[in-house]
Amino acid sequence: MKINAPFVEKILCAFIREELHKFGFSKGIVGLSGGLDSSVCAALAAKALGKKNVLGMILPYKDTFGKDVEDARALARKLGIRTRLLDISPMVDAYFSRYPTDDRVRIGNKMARERMSILYDHSVLEKALILGTSNKTELLIGYGTIHGDMACAINPLGDLYKSQVRALGAHLRLPARILKKTPTAGLWPGQTDEDEIGLDYSEIDAILYELVDERRPRKEVIASGFKKEAVEKIEARIVSSEFKRKMPPIAKISPRTVGHDFLYSYDRNR
Amino acid sequence: MKVALAQISPHLGDLRKNLDLHLETIEKVRRRKAHLVIFPELSLTGYTLMDLVPEAALDPARHPAFQKLVAASRTIDIVLGFVEERGKGLFYNSAAYLSGGRIIHVHRKAFLPTGGMFEEAKFFAAGKNFRTFATSFGKAGLMVCRDFLSYGAGYLLFAGGADLIIVISAAPGRGMTAGDAFATSRMWELMGEAVSFFSTAFVVYCNRVGFEDGKAFAGGSFIFDPSGRRLVKAPEAEEDLVLADLRIEDIRSARKRWTFMRDDRPEVILHSLQRIVGNHED
Repeated sequence: MKINAPFVEKILCAFIREELHKFGFSKGIVGLSGGLDSSVCAALAAKALGKKNVLGMILPYKDTFGKDVEDARALARKLGIRTRLLDISPMVDAYFSRYPTDDRVRIGNKMARERMSILYDHSVLEKALILGTSNKTELLIGYGTIHGDMACAINPLGDLYKSQVRALGAHLRLPARILKKTPTAGLWPGQTDEDEIGLDYSEIDAILYELVDERRPRKEVIASGFKKEAVEKIEARIVSSEFKRKMPPIAKISPRTVGHDFLYSYDRNR
Repeated sequence: MKVALAQISPHLGDLRKNLDLHLETIEKVRRRKAHLVIFPELSLTGYTLMDLVPEAALDPARHPAFQKLVAASRTIDIVLGFVEERGKGLFYNSAAYLSGGRIIHVHRKAFLPTGGMFEEAKFFAAGKNFRTFATSFGKAGLMVCRDFLSYGAGYLLFAGGADLIIVISAAPGRGMTAGDAFATSRMWELMGEAVSFFSTAFVVYCNRVGFEDGKAFAGGSFIFDPSGRRLVKAPEAEEDLVLADLRIEDIRSARKRWTFMRDDRPEVILHSLQRIVGNHED
């Protein structure tokens, strides 16, 4: 579970630089929430591409998360990267005035997808690729909005658990406020990941590490001292979120089908 | 004897760019007086080819790009990796030894990793032989990546009297350690140390770097001498060009001290293998 942060930094910076350059890009975009993951991603991008080549997009809904906007701005100043701030409330409100709801998940998902839509438009506008910020914990338990915050061109953080991202953030000397911040998806004020999931990250990460990296059966993980309900809950989340980690299935008709046996690498001929 | 390890990052599916990369590197090490230059596995094509395999495949005796490399071997010996087409439609993950303007030897990867992140047997035919061959530096043997992790394969080159065991690789790094390397890098070095010592032969391992679909190829190329001492080690996951002087007389010194090669009894191994193979059940 422990990482050698300088080595991981070296690998991830090389990954960002090489993947962008292969596709003919020199610039990257990171959606900055003021939280840990996007801050680590932006710091890596600034090192990999040069600070002038990173754009931090700050996309709040009205002033619901004023403190986070301030943290995102402070981080961008510290890294020396450009930022652009855009309030997404006119677009989100326009939609919900037509289909009103107080379902916080629907509203939160809509916001995440609104941000995705703006990031992708800026990808063309800025001739830059979007760097994803979903970590391994979120990807495995499905704690993200499909086609929302999970959408990106490349994802440097997807094989690091939340606690490993935090260790990398400390190595990158991110501001203490960001390192200590309670993780939140930012779907509504006062929301925290841990409250919503019902477990704390250190526990989630430790269980995921046993189940996924060590590939231990559930019974063994429970026998080694983890709470039965916690292990079962996490395993159920992994299974139920499989669809978020895959391309949608395509009905196979022909001898050679996209997603089945039309097999090429993402990086082919690059 | 001066050996150069070209720890390069090939372009996936771009033969022309890779040919240029090879020719430039060859020129560079020729100027530095190297006698032998080694490129990684599938250095002419990149690794994650999948359905590009048939397009990337070539007949080394005829293909113009390959012939340029054969011509370049008039002044320096070259080991490289490529997709070889044999007959019509059989594709191998192959390594070639070029010298004196000729193809001296081709080894076809016999152990095709398939499982987890690897899918080679879906796309390649498996080679069937491990043979040593004569070079101006002594007897050499070739292996491709996963071949080297079979100690049976290492034994075959030893039994064939190899002085120089050359391994070309496209090994992705996996797993964390406290050090500046992937956990899997230790595995390759462990085998390098053991095989060089117990074969009293040089082991030369050239691994690639760069990324394909998020996989980081780990680099960390190395050479062990016939007494199991590490002579050089390239950095992890960074392009590099490493040159090392190999003293051929070290093979003799090692074999005077440790008589593993003299004492080898391939007939006992063969006899036992025949019994095992004859009796084997699912």
